[in-house]
This record gives sequence, structure tokens and C-alpha cells, in this order.
Amino acid sequence: MIPGDFQPKRPTGGQLVKLGVLGVVALGVFVLVVLGLTFHISAWLGQPVVFARSEGPEQPIAFPHTTHVQELGMDCTFCHRNVEKEAAASVPATGLCMTCHSAVGDDLDEIEKMRSLYEDGRSIHWVRVHRVPDHVHFVHEAHIRYFTEKEGIETSQVCQTCHGDVKEMEKVKQVETLKMGDCVSCHKENSAPTDCVTCHY
Amino acid sequence: MADSQDRKWGMVVDIDRCTGCNGCVIACQSENNIPNNLEEHFNQRRAIQWIRIERYWEGEYPNVKARFIPVMCQQCGNAPCEPVCPVYATYHNNEGLNVQVYNRCIGTRFCANGCPYHVRFFNFWEPEWPDSLKNQLNPDVTVRSRGIMEKCSFCVQRIRRSTREADRDGVQVEDGDRGISPACVNACPTTSLTFGDFNDETSQVSIMKEEAMSNRGKKDGRGYRLLDNLGTETNVIYLKKVDESAGAVHGH
Repeated sequence: MIPGDFQPKRPTGGQLVKLGVLGVVALGVFVLVVLGLTFHISAWLGQPVVFARSEGPEQPIAFPHTTHVQELGMDCTFCHRNVEKEAAASVPATGLCMTCHSAVGDDLDEIEKMRSLYEDGRSIHWVRVHRVPDHVHFVHEAHIRYFTEKEGIETSQVCQTCHGDVKEMEKVKQVETLKMGDCVSCHKENSAPTDCVTCHY
Repeated sequence: MADSQDRKWGMVVDIDRCTGCNGCVIACQSENNIPNNLEEHFNQRRAIQWIRIERYWEGEYPNVKARFIPVMCQQCGNAPCEPVCPVYATYHNNEGLNVQVYNRCIGTRFCANGCPYHVRFFNFWEPEWPDSLKNQLNPDVTVRSRGIMEKCSFCVQRIRRSTREADRDGVQVEDGDRGISPACVNACPTTSLTFGDFNDETSQVSIMKEEAMSNRGKKDGRGYRLLDNLGTETNVIYLKKVDESAGAVHGH
């Protein structure tokens, strides 16, 4: 080695450790940001890349649509009573459950939970699965009326258009994106009004 | 809703009947989820009132008379607020309504500057209600958040519901039906306000408009539009005998 020659500075042991830790942290943050962006952008585009669960949320009482619809053959409108009459589909009061469950299902925990709530006069705080923004006014009645009267489709079949095959779901989850594009394309197909104040007011 | 194409909603306001009771204002505030206007909001000229009662004094003391004019969005046929919106958040629909689409609005406030009637209101704050009033919010009306413009919609939620229910029952919406009339019209104790379809020649508003406009300028003729000389072609007709020569002197 010639004296005065260029000597690259060698990092000390302590500096190496620091740089290593910094690198790992930076890499971790980068991965997290990429994952987060992928999730958000894909969800916004309506095709969420799901990193967590693909089934619906945990409900306070594990109500199985499968048992009630498939095995007992109940119609959507039996419990969601306002769906053919009003804007909201409505979730039934616990009293409606009790018409059967005061006698049926004595040995099941979930039904005991429901009964105790009913006796205390409290309602079940279901986790809402399908929600459109506040500035969207969706009216169930008009949609069901159109398809049942004009197209001759059964009510429970109409529900499936937006809600998917709920009778196959142990936990209800959202299958359609319910973005405005979905609404508008269907409205155009059926020559329904696409004026903004049809839904936004 | 096939018949919605042929509608032209409008209102006739008989000022001679108005007592200035502010019933329409209260009805409107509660129907349309308008936040409470505090004194400071009025002082800042930022109070939101989709319909307001303007008060004028006539004559000299002691012979003073109070005159009231209820002013709501005039639903102009040729609206100055519409072409200035850069995002088409306000436009004219086929029912003759000047529509405000909250989710499109980005809050430029150009429309409020363009409006000669001062009936467009900007949300400078998140809306707030006392706890006791939170459960009385109307679920059929969007709660407007901070940063967007709002205005009288002729209670389009009531128009929607009534036409839908009429459709369901296979009937036509009756003229003067309380279900379709805006909250202010239903609340008015002196029936000063009348709501209806100007395209329906047999409706009460059409008859009143016809009478008012044909007698215009005659001896007992009543009927004018607010700031008619601007050519806004409003859908609200005011009934009151006007001395047109007086207006020409002062101008606007």
C-alpha cells in the first residue's frame, strides 16, 4: 500500500449494527406501505385483495341463515318484513325470533343468549354488513316491486342480485361491491332513471 | 316513475296571506336536518336557512306595516348557479328542479356567488345538534358534512316517496297532496304557500299562476317573480300587487 492512498472508511461494529437495524426497519415499513396501498387501492377499485378473513363479521349471536333458509325453508320476507313495503329491509325484533324459539332449540347456547336478551327487554346489536353511504337512499321496496311485477322474478331471487346467495352463508358477508357503478349499470340495463336525485338527496 | 319526465314542480306564494310566523322556517329546519343556527352564525352571515322570512317595513310611524316575503330557492328555469359549477354538482333535472348533489360538491362556492337570491348555503362547520335533537334527524335526508353547499330541494325526498308510493298503489299523485308538498307548505297556517306541478294545467298552482300572470299590470292584478328582470325564469311565483313603476326607479 502506498502511503496517502485512498482508504475507504470501514464502519465500526457498532455502526454496522445500527445500519443493519435501520435497513430492516426501512424494509419492514416499505412492505407495510405496499401492502396497505394494495389493499386500499384494490378495495377502492372494487376488487379487494383480502389479507385477513374472507368470511363475514362475527355477529353477537351466530345466526345461521343456512339452517333457517335451507332446512326450514323460510323466505327472506318472513323475517325481513318491511322489504316489500318500505325503504329499509328491517331486521326483526327479538319477539319475532321468540315466536318459535320460546319452544324450539332449548339446548343451544346461542338461543339462550337471545332469550336472555329478550327477557331483559334488550335488542340484539347486529353488526351491519351491507351499508351504503349516508348520501345514498336505496329503497328496497321499489327494486323488489320492479323485478317481481315486471320481470316475474320471485322476491328471494331478487335479493340475491345484490346480497348474493345468503342461504349458503354461515356468516353473512358482502359479495357485491355496492359501488355506484353497479347501481348505474343495472339502472341503465333496466332503463331506470339515472338522474342524480333518484338516489342522492 | 315514467311520468316524472312531464313534471315541473313549482310554488305559488301569496304574500298577502303571510303573517311572518316563521312556521315554514322551523318546519324546514327539522325536515331537512339543518343544524341549529346560533347567534354567532347569524353574526358571521353563515346561518343556514333554506327558507327565510324577509321583513320589510312599509310607511312612516305611527302607520307602519310589516311586510314579509318567504324566500326559498326559486328553482330557476335559467339558473345562474348551474353553469358555474365545475363538477356538475348542481344541475337541472327533468322535473324542473334545480338539484344539488352533495357527493359531487367540492365546495368552490361559485354557485352561492352566482345566486342572486342568497338561498345557497355553505357548510362552514360540521353540523351539530344538541343530544336531545339527535334522534329527530330525518333519515330520508342526507346530513351534509363540512365543506359542501346546500339549498332548498323542494323537499325532493317527499316527492320521491310520494311518487314511489303512488306508483306502488297504481294511482297518480294528487294535486295538493300533503305527502308530496314540502314541509314549509304543510306547516303554513295561512296556506300562504301552494305547491304543485306547473305542467299540469288543472293543478292549483297552474290556475293561480295563469290568473296572476294574465292580470299582471292591470288594476287588481297580483303576481311577480323575485328579480324577474334577471331572466332567471323562476318556478316560484309571488302574489302581491306591485307598483312596477316604483321598481323601475330604484332598480337593482
